[in-house]
Amino acid sequence: MGSGIPRINKTSDALLGALDNLFNWAHKNSLWPLFFGLSCCFIEEAAAFTSRYDLARFGSEVLRGSPRQADLLIISGTVFKKAAPMVLRLYEQMSDPKWVISMGSCANSGGMYDVYSVLQGVDQILPVDVYIPGCPPRPEALEEGIILLQKKIGSCERPARPVLHRAGGWEGTTAAILEDGYTKTRDTRGPGFEGIAERGTSLTPPRFWGSRSDLMWTPPTPRIEPTEREKSLADALRERFGDFIRPIEHSVDMPAYDVDGSRIKDVLRYLKTSPEAHFVRLDDVTAIDESARRDRGVTAPEGEGAPSSEHPPDYTLVYHLLSYESASRIRLKVGVRGSDPAAETITDIWPCANWYEREVYDMFGIRFNGHPDLRRILMPPEWQGHPLRKSHVYRATEMAPYTLEDARAMQPLDGRYFVEGADRDDTIILNYGPHHLGTHGVCRFVLALRGEEIVDLGADIGYHHRAAEKIGERQSWHQFIPYTDRIDYMNGVNNNLAYLNSVEKLAGVTVPDRARFIRVMLAEMFRINSHLIWAGTFLHDIGMMGLNFYAFREREQLMDIIELITGGRLHPSFFRIGGVAMDLPDGWREAVDAFVRIFPSRLKEYAQLAERNPIVKARTVGIGVLSKEEAIEWGLTGPNLRACGVEWDLRKKMPYAAYDAFDFEIPTRTAGDCYARYLVRMDELRQSLRIIEQAARNMPPGRHITEDYRYAVPDKRDTLKDIESLIHHFVNVTRGPKMPKGEAYVPGEVARGEQGYYVVSDGMNMAYRMRIRGPDFAHLQAMPRKIIGRPIADFQAMLGSMDFIMPDCDR
Amino acid sequence: MEPLPQNGAHLLSPWEPGVLGLAVYAGAALLMLAAILFLTSWLGEHKPGPAKDLPYESGILPTGSPRILYAIPFYLVATFFLIFDVEALYVFSWAVAFNDLGWTGWLQMSVFIAVLFISLIYVWKKGGLDWGPESRE
Ligand code: SF4
Repeated sequence: MGSGIPRINKTSDALLGALDNLFNWAHKNSLWPLFFGLSCCFIEEAAAFTSRYDLARFGSEVLRGSPRQADLLIISGTVFKKAAPMVLRLYEQMSDPKWVISMGSCANSGGMYDVYSVLQGVDQILPVDVYIPGCPPRPEALEEGIILLQKKIGSCERPARPVLHRAGGWEGTTAAILEDGYTKTRDTRGPGFEGIAERGTSLTPPRFWGSRSDLMWTPPTPRIEPTEREKSLADALRERFGDFIRPIEHSVDMPAYDVDGSRIKDVLRYLKTSPEAHFVRLDDVTAIDESARRDRGVTAPEGEGAPSSEHPPDYTLVYHLLSYESASRIRLKVGVRGSDPAAETITDIWPCANWYEREVYDMFGIRFNGHPDLRRILMPPEWQGHPLRKSHVYRATEMAPYTLEDARAMQPLDGRYFVEGADRDDTIILNYGPHHLGTHGVCRFVLALRGEEIVDLGADIGYHHRAAEKIGERQSWHQFIPYTDRIDYMNGVNNNLAYLNSVEKLAGVTVPDRARFIRVMLAEMFRINSHLIWAGTFLHDIGMMGLNFYAFREREQLMDIIELITGGRLHPSFFRIGGVAMDLPDGWREAVDAFVRIFPSRLKEYAQLAERNPIVKARTVGIGVLSKEEAIEWGLTGPNLRACGVEWDLRKKMPYAAYDAFDFEIPTRTAGDCYARYLVRMDELRQSLRIIEQAARNMPPGRHITEDYRYAVPDKRDTLKDIESLIHHFVNVTRGPKMPKGEAYVPGEVARGEQGYYVVSDGMNMAYRMRIRGPDFAHLQAMPRKIIGRPIADFQAMLGSMDFIMPDCDR
Repeated sequence: MEPLPQNGAHLLSPWEPGVLGLAVYAGAALLMLAAILFLTSWLGEHKPGPAKDLPYESGILPTGSPRILYAIPFYLVATFFLIFDVEALYVFSWAVAFNDLGWTGWLQMSVFIAVLFISLIYVWKKGGLDWGPESRE
């Protein structure tokens, strides 16, 4: 801001003062915002532009897609270190004078993401005029931010002198870039408290010196009884592979085996192709760094002597497979040893293992022999170390501050490294994203174009890597719930549910009926929500803007219901271990009924708008086709899988929560093209509505949270009545419950597909390893490449129809 | 509206008084352009920077030069458009002189349009209006 108002003592000054007012008036009432939506906050920013909030009233309703046309940069969401160079470049490319609004806690200060991949405040690389607090701020808050900026422009700027080439005066941002240690502090303890330990460090790895989990007792994890089929498979495996495969006793969720590294490929090939097993889908490949296991003993074998199979493994590779026929999963674990660990690639068995293995390489430094393209996938190319190793630094505040110089130096790889034929002189390389309206998030595609035709395509992801898996290793089992909301930020409580599926399985928690019904009802509301935004943006992408307005209208109605019940909008974090945070409030039924009444007619409106529109059809029918076999081979899930003719929905085939108590269908299509994906989601809206209607009608009475308070946060009323509950309240909201040793992976069906949390507990109050499998990782690997050989316009239709979201791809 | 003069020679507007009008018009246009150019360059803020001179490509530094041999698959479509567009000019001029040219004119123009229409069908059938990857399938 300026240092004050210059005194007016001459006529010319009076004239300049009048001109100042005129220019300021023009500036502030015609702000042209450039969006840089990096994550969740952008959804609320977008809502501010729709009819309910109507940002147009403030003269700044047209979001620009290019920096040349804008003078106000709104940075909404988490500023990742990998994406910060682009934020800076766009800011620098905007014409002057210009202003900056930082929207949301993440952009302001890193927010709840004090973790290695996130910049702790965008003000470290560019000047900020207005900060909007909130996680996310509501659309009204953005409006207030714009009003504040207008006030600032109107009262603090003196543009007349610079415009008329006279000395003095100023316009645009005059704030300074902040520097850690001088003009800002990243210390979470606050000034004067440098002497104390950082909050939580006594309980967290590597030392756990203040942890009291060892003093607590929990019953052992429940144990799953193998089915007949699983028993015979175990026999067949023993017969075939003998000592190379050992069943893991005491598995809570699925049959699990330790496999010798030398035979893993044979075992996997057998499981995939043999008719008695037929685990055709590779659900997930990941790893665990075993070096911080507390029963490992103090003499860590790091670098001492040759690694032998006598040592406990340094890393464990974990494969999860799924069989459609028997609706069952299997887990295989392979120990890897040494300081330069290596394993065999399985990309020749499942092509979709490609990205998963790259991720393991990036995060753990485990090499895969024979992998066709082993390089980093999430982290920037020049990153040092492998973030999910226990030895890698955790917090951003433990690292040197990210500065303007870093943002200039850390450039992403040049486009030519992602595509073939870049050197031909008739080929143009086009970067599509990360800052692009059509990518719906910070994701970068590199297209090699010959004329309009796409001849090759590469994807560069990791711009939205928020390190949720690392965070899971340092947050108590309850504290992690809000982080799950942000995994797929359009899906709210659906994420909570997928996470709790695994945790509750691990601990054997039973959830009362009422809580299960509340969970289902809210989860379906978020599914509708997500599909609505998708429908609006997808059709917008292919040239039909109308539906966007209607979709946001219905979404706001749902948001109001969700707010009534949970108190939150985008990220309610409403579910708890053993139930939900509180019971339904008065008036919920009327609100839900009103929605159930009105929504069918709205669905008809949508269908009329889109399905009779010949342009929509011309741009989607027969475009981006995937066959059923491809969809299975590449691990597609959710509506994208069902649009290829596979009738598979976890809610029906492997029911969780209370879904087995509901009557609904699994919509499918067989065409596998963009239009089929559209139709499947439209049908799912109807099915979700049915579920909501049934949940409201049959809502059982009873408790909203389990009576067993070992793991749950007790009902507040109980804590006022008996000491047992009060003690559990103290323990479970402070250091958090201890989980029994073990692991579980029970995915749920979120709007985009199957999202699963592979939680590994070492018997502590936080996870030892928190693996998150998001559906879009698989989708982004396989689907865009189907558009090679087509014109670039089809590429956008494909991207839109996939319905991907970056936070659950990059996590 | 004035009725059209019956004599064909008066169809064009007279030359002499028009020159002055044209000159005034051209002068005014030039003056305005100059004023706009001057004002924007003088009043606008100039803060050159290396980033500003770069093309905007979703925030990434572009690869290679944009000056390449560029395949133009819709080249043919564009040419056909031009051809048919120019033909339409004849139709307009005929419409202006419709009354003078009478039935002969009408007949001639009908033949002309018919030929045009047939050639359009010919181009269409030959695949001249298809472009993009489908056209090669
Ligand atoms: S976590 Fe999401 S909603 Fe919260 S401040 Fe960050 S970007 Fe915004």
